[in-house]
Amino acid sequence: MRIDHFNHPHNPAPEPAPRAGSDDRAPMSPELAGPVQLQGVQAQALNTSRNRLIVTGALLALAFTVIAGRLVELALSQDARPKFAARISETPKPPKVRANIADRNGILLATSLPTAALYANPNHVLDARLAAKRLHKVLPELDEAALAKKLSGKSTFVWLHRNLTPDRQFKVNALGVPGLYFQGMERRVYPHGALAAHVLGVTDIDGNGLSGVEKQFDGQLTGGDSAFGLSLDIRVQAMFRDALLRQQNRFSAIGAVGVLMDVSNGEVVALVSLPDFDPNNPVSAAGDAGFNRATKGVYEMGSTFKLFTAAMALDSGVSKITSRFDATKPIRIHGFTISDYHAEKRWLTVTEILVHSSNIGAAKMAMKVGTARQKNYLRSFGLTRAAGIELPEVGTPLTPDRWRDINTMTIAYGHGIAVSPLQLTAAVAALVNGGYRVRPTIIKGAAPQSGDRVLKAGTSEKMRRLMRMVVTQGTGRKADAEGFLLGGKTGTADKPGRRGYSGRRVISSFVAVFPFDAPRYAILALFDEPKGLKETFGYATGGWVAAPVVKAVVQRLSPLLGLRPRAKAVAVSGAGRGKKRRAAN
Amino acid sequence: MGLVPERQRESTIGRKLWQINWSFVLLIALIAGVGFAMLYSAADGQLDPWSSRQMARFGFGLVAMIVFALIDIRTWLRYAYFIYFASLVLLAAVEVTGSVGMGAQRWINLGFINVQPSEIVKITLILALARYFYASRVEDVERMTHLFVPAAMLAVPVFLVLRQPDLGTAILILVTGITIFFLAGVRAWIFVATGLAAISAIVPVWKFVLLDYQKQRLLTYLNPESDPLGAGYHVMQSKIALGSGGLFGKGFLSGTQSHLSFLPEKHTDFIFTMLAEEFGMAGGLGLVGLYLMVLVYGFFIAVRSRNHFGRLVGMGVVAAFFYNVFVNIAMVMGLLPVVGMPLPLVSYGGTAMVTLLFGFGLLLCVFVHRDVTISPGTADGNY
Repeated sequence: MRIDHFNHPHNPAPEPAPRAGSDDRAPMSPELAGPVQLQGVQAQALNTSRNRLIVTGALLALAFTVIAGRLVELALSQDARPKFAARISETPKPPKVRANIADRNGILLATSLPTAALYANPNHVLDARLAAKRLHKVLPELDEAALAKKLSGKSTFVWLHRNLTPDRQFKVNALGVPGLYFQGMERRVYPHGALAAHVLGVTDIDGNGLSGVEKQFDGQLTGGDSAFGLSLDIRVQAMFRDALLRQQNRFSAIGAVGVLMDVSNGEVVALVSLPDFDPNNPVSAAGDAGFNRATKGVYEMGSTFKLFTAAMALDSGVSKITSRFDATKPIRIHGFTISDYHAEKRWLTVTEILVHSSNIGAAKMAMKVGTARQKNYLRSFGLTRAAGIELPEVGTPLTPDRWRDINTMTIAYGHGIAVSPLQLTAAVAALVNGGYRVRPTIIKGAAPQSGDRVLKAGTSEKMRRLMRMVVTQGTGRKADAEGFLLGGKTGTADKPGRRGYSGRRVISSFVAVFPFDAPRYAILALFDEPKGLKETFGYATGGWVAAPVVKAVVQRLSPLLGLRPRAKAVAVSGAGRGKKRRAAN
Repeated sequence: MGLVPERQRESTIGRKLWQINWSFVLLIALIAGVGFAMLYSAADGQLDPWSSRQMARFGFGLVAMIVFALIDIRTWLRYAYFIYFASLVLLAAVEVTGSVGMGAQRWINLGFINVQPSEIVKITLILALARYFYASRVEDVERMTHLFVPAAMLAVPVFLVLRQPDLGTAILILVTGITIFFLAGVRAWIFVATGLAAISAIVPVWKFVLLDYQKQRLLTYLNPESDPLGAGYHVMQSKIALGSGGLFGKGFLSGTQSHLSFLPEKHTDFIFTMLAEEFGMAGGLGLVGLYLMVLVYGFFIAVRSRNHFGRLVGMGVVAAFFYNVFVNIAMVMGLLPVVGMPLPLVSYGGTAMVTLLFGFGLLLCVFVHRDVTISPGTADGNY
C-alpha cells in the first residue's frame, strides 16, 4: 500500500491535478497524489503520521480476525454445552434406601417409605415460645412447654419429631417458623403387620436390623436395590397363624408354633411363633412376644421322637418292622420308672409301638440300637446342634452331658433332649424324603441340597408308612385330612418345672408329612401349655390339640401349594393289626 | 488566508450529496437491517416493542447523518470545542438529575427523549481532540507540556462516566482518546510510560475505585464457570447459545436459548449471541464481515483525507466504532468481561444508534471534504 499523498498542515502538498470526470470516490489511486518531495523533519512527521494510521488499521483488522476465530471455535467445538450439562446433571443422590423384603411370590413383606424428621437449630429460632405454640398446633403430640425449652436451648441441633408424613411436613413447613429444618429419613413398614413378625424381625429408628431377617441380612438389605426374596408364602403363613391362634386361645396355651417345610430342599414356607408382635411398632416385640419359639425355643418333644427311634432301629438292622418288644411291664432303672399312659401290657411290634405311642417299647428299641448309634443318628438328623437357618435367633439343643443308658431310654421317647420345633420338622423331613439330611432355609431358591444320606431309602419308605398308620389308626387320627394322605406322629411332653416334671404343664405337638406316599411338605404344630377342655375330656395332648390344627391347615393350604385331594385313600400295607384304638399319647 | 480552491467554491448542496459515499450508507443500512430482524426475533416475531422503534430512530439518525455530512468540515472544526463542552454539560447533568437504569445513573431526560450523554461524549471527544491536534507541529506533539490540555479533555469525561458508574464506556472513551493521541503522533515512550503507571495503579484502583459489582464482573471474567448460576450466568448461557447454533444455526425465530429466555438482555448486549444461535457461525461471520467492511471503508476515508483534522476525526470515529463492536462480540463470546456494551447499529438503544450515525455523519463529511486543505488558524474563522 502506498500512501504518498499525505500532507501536513505545515507542509501542504501540491494541489492535485484537476480530475475531470474521474471517479472521485476511488480512494487510493496513487496517481491522484502528485510526487511528494519532502525533506528532514517534515518527512519524518509525515512518516509518523502515515505509519500510525497503518498500525492502527492493522491492529483493528487483527482484532477482527480474533473475533472471527473465536466465533468459529465456539461454533465448531460446541465445547461449552456438554461441559455445562455435565455440571448441572450432578444432582445429589437419593438417600440409601433399605431393600424391600418379599415372600416367595413377590408379595411385599417389608418396605421403606421416605419420611421427614423435624429438627431445629435453636440459635435460628427467633421466638421460642411462639414457635412452640405454633408447632404444638400442628403436632399436638409434642408438649408445648417441652418444645419451648428445647427451642430456647443453646445447642445448635435438637430433634423434635421423627417420621413426619408428607402432609404433616407440609403443615410444619407452612408455619414458616425460622430455625426448623427437615432431614430426609425412611421408615420401615411391614404391610402384613404381625404375620411374619418373627421371621422378618425389626429395625431400629435408624434403619439398622435388630432381629430376624432384618438383622441377619442387614448388610445386603442396606443399599440393596432389588427385593429380598424369602421362601415364606405369606398366604400359607396367614392361614397357619390364624389356625394356631384360634387353637391357642381355645386351649388357653401360652404359646404356639407352626412350621411348614419343603422336605426336598428345606425351604421354610411358613414359620409361626405365637405370641408375636407388630414389627411396625418394635416396642411390642419386648418380652415373651419377641421370643421366637420356633427357632430359639428348645423343648423336650416327647413321643414325636419315637419316629427317630424306630427309624434308627430299622435302618441299623437291629429290628424289623415286625419285630416285637416286651411292653408288659414298666421299666425300672436308676430309681426311674418308664411306663405307658395306656399300657397294652403285651409285646408290641414296631408299628404298634408308634401307633400306641409306647414309651416302654421305644425305650427297649433304643437299648437295642445302643447309645453310640443313637447319638450318631441324632447328630446326622441335625438334632444335636443348633439349626442352620438364616436367622439370628437360633436355639442350641440341650443334650445329656453324660449319655448313659437311662438317657438313651428317655431320649427314645423324647425326654432328656430338647430341640427347637424347626429342627424337629427338618429331621422329620429327612425321615420321609428318601433319607437325606435337610438343612432348613428361609431364602427362596437356595441351592438344592445334595444332602448327606441319613437313612437308607427303604427305611425312609417304611417310616412314611408307619407315620401314615399313626394317622389312620393311632393317636393322630384327628389329623386325617381326607384325600391328603397325611402321615404323622403326636407328641405330648411334660414340661420340666422347678420340682421335676409336672403332669399339668405339657408341650403338645403333631408333626406330619403329606402326601405320605410322595412327601412334599413336613408340617409341625406345637402348643405350649395347652389346658384340657371339657369337650376333650380334659385332654390337652398332641392328638387333641395339635392334630386338628394340622388337618385344618393342610386342607386349606393344599390348593395353594398345588396339591389335589385324592378321592380314595391308598391302602396301607404292612404290619399292624388294624385295631382302632384311642391312644392317649 | 482566503485562498479557497475552485472545487470547494463550487461545492453546492447538490454536488455534495453526489459526493457522499452512498455505498457506505448502504452498508450501514444493511447492518441496521440485521438489527431490525434480530429485534423482531427477540420480541418473538413482533415489531413491537423494539424493532419498530429502532427503525424510527435509524430513520431519524440517517437523515441527521446526511445533514452532518453536508456541513462544511471547517464548521465542525470551529465548533468542535463548543460541542465537546455541551456534551460535558450533559454528562455532568446526569450526575445531578440523571435517572437510574440497571443500577447506574446513565440517562438524562430531555423532556421528549431520554439520552445517554456518555454515548455522545465518545464522538464529541474525538472532535475536540482532533481540533487540538490538527494544527500541532511535530515538535509540539513531542513536548510533554503540550499534552496536558488534551489529557485533561480526555480525563474529565472518563472520570464523569466512571462516576455513573459505567466502567465499560469509561474504558472505551479512554481507549478512543488514546488512539487519537497515537494517531496524532505522540511519542511511543509516553504510551509505554503511561501503561506502566497504569499497571502500578491497579492495586489502589482495585481497592478504592472499583465497586463490588465491577470487581465481581472482572473476577467472574477470569473464570466464568466458577459461578455458572450467578455472575457467570450471562456468559455461560451466551456461550451455550453460540455453540448450539452450529454452522448454520437453528433458523430465524427458532433460537431455543434466546426464545426460552435463557439468554439475558437478548435485545441489547447479547443480540449477537441470538444472531449466532439462529443463523449459526455463518450468520455471525457475515455480520462480522459487514463490520469489517465498515472498518475498511472508514480507514480509507481517513487515509484519503487531505487534511489532518479529517484524518483524525475519521480514524477516531472508525476506532470508536470498532472498539464498540469488538468489546461487545468478545464479551458475549467470553473473551472479555461483561461490561454492558451494546452492539453498534444492531442492539436496541436510541442514543447509541443516533450517536453512531452522528459519528458516521462526521466520517462522511470527512469524505465529502476530503480534498479541503485546512491551515492552522482555520478553526478561528480565518480561512
